[in-house]
Amino acid sequence: MQKVSSFFLDFIEKTQAGQHGQVSVHFFVQLQCLLQWKRLSWLNKAVVSSLEGKDCREVMKSIAESSVVPQEQLSHIISGMHRVLSEAIRIPTSLLKQEVLKEDLRELRIPEDFVTDFSSVVFGSRRAGLEAVASQKDPHLPALEEFKWRVDVAISTSSLARALQPSVLMRMKLSDGSVHQFEVPVSKFQELRYNVALILKEMNDLEKKSILKIQD
Amino acid sequence: MSDTESFRSINSLISGICQTEFFNNSELNEQLLKEQLYPEVPQDDFRCLYDKMRGLIKSMASADMDPSQLGVFLTAQTRKQGGGGVSAEQATALSRFWKSHRVKVRERLQAQSRWEPALRGLSWRVDIQTSGHSNPVGVVELELGGATQDTECVCVEVDESKVEEVLMKMKEIQENMDHYVKQTSNLH
Repeated sequence: MQKVSSFFLDFIEKTQAGQHGQVSVHFFVQLQCLLQWKRLSWLNKAVVSSLEGKDCREVMKSIAESSVVPQEQLSHIISGMHRVLSEAIRIPTSLLKQEVLKEDLRELRIPEDFVTDFSSVVFGSRRAGLEAVASQKDPHLPALEEFKWRVDVAISTSSLARALQPSVLMRMKLSDGSVHQFEVPVSKFQELRYNVALILKEMNDLEKKSILKIQD
Repeated sequence: MSDTESFRSINSLISGICQTEFFNNSELNEQLLKEQLYPEVPQDDFRCLYDKMRGLIKSMASADMDPSQLGVFLTAQTRKQGGGGVSAEQATALSRFWKSHRVKVRERLQAQSRWEPALRGLSWRVDIQTSGHSNPVGVVELELGGATQDTECVCVEVDESKVEEVLMKMKEIQENMDHYVKQTSNLH
């Protein structure tokens, strides 16, 4: 758990050195001022929605309009909350104990109400959704979105009077919007099918072998 | 020209014609074949032999003759009177050539009518992520290209449900092809 503490200490140092962009050293002081403000939980909800990848511009706008805190300070607070939460979510729950997180947050002089709120976000029921959104932001190759096929039989061609040989036409649409269309001769089709079955087998085997689950 | 030499020459001529006609071998041409194989034969006689052999090979390829069809075809050719027919030696050479080249020629001719890029090869790996939910992810690289085109590599990521879906579709494709093969064999 040392790792988590050292991360937060490092975070404070960098924050103080101004290396975290919008997050400034005033963040924590401002957070304390904000405690008197009634719309705290709203703010928390808005930040979590943004972490879930939802459009929260309208909510943010209404918070900003009704805020007793000046906009500049509010933006520091929001980005600070966003940063703290997203860093806490990065660490797998198996490696982060709730008590340790709370201690770390207290060490950052985050007010007690917020410590409970933050901790319930990190360990609560929305965790899976937050992780799913976070993993979508990882670098990826384009994913297969659509797979269509057609079996053609050439009856006769300019070179062969009686071709009568089936071939498969495949069309793949990828997540980057590109479309690839190609023909697969029967011999290659068998090879392709065999390899796709192997991939599935490999995936199933991997899931069964808990020994291969990566541990930090 | 001795019998052995003459048989060797006709064999080489047939192979040469096959190379120029089906495999786009630009190093070989009619003139070169004449100089190398039949230097003493008058040009017109060679042209006659060349055209006859070329016509026969093209007919054999176009009809994709099986051994019994070829037998009937060559017998009919040897029985032809005058210059149009083939000698027993030529028939033997053609029959021998076709036995070893039929599959290759057929594949080549099929590829000539394939204009979409074809799947030439594939490689894949399965990754497991170190963070978050560690569901395995497959990364597949498809090598696509035609006989005359450059190859293009397409990399695609697939999760387990996608692999299952593709595999199901491939099963359907196989069933469709099997069904087709059954239907055509009933027709014959």
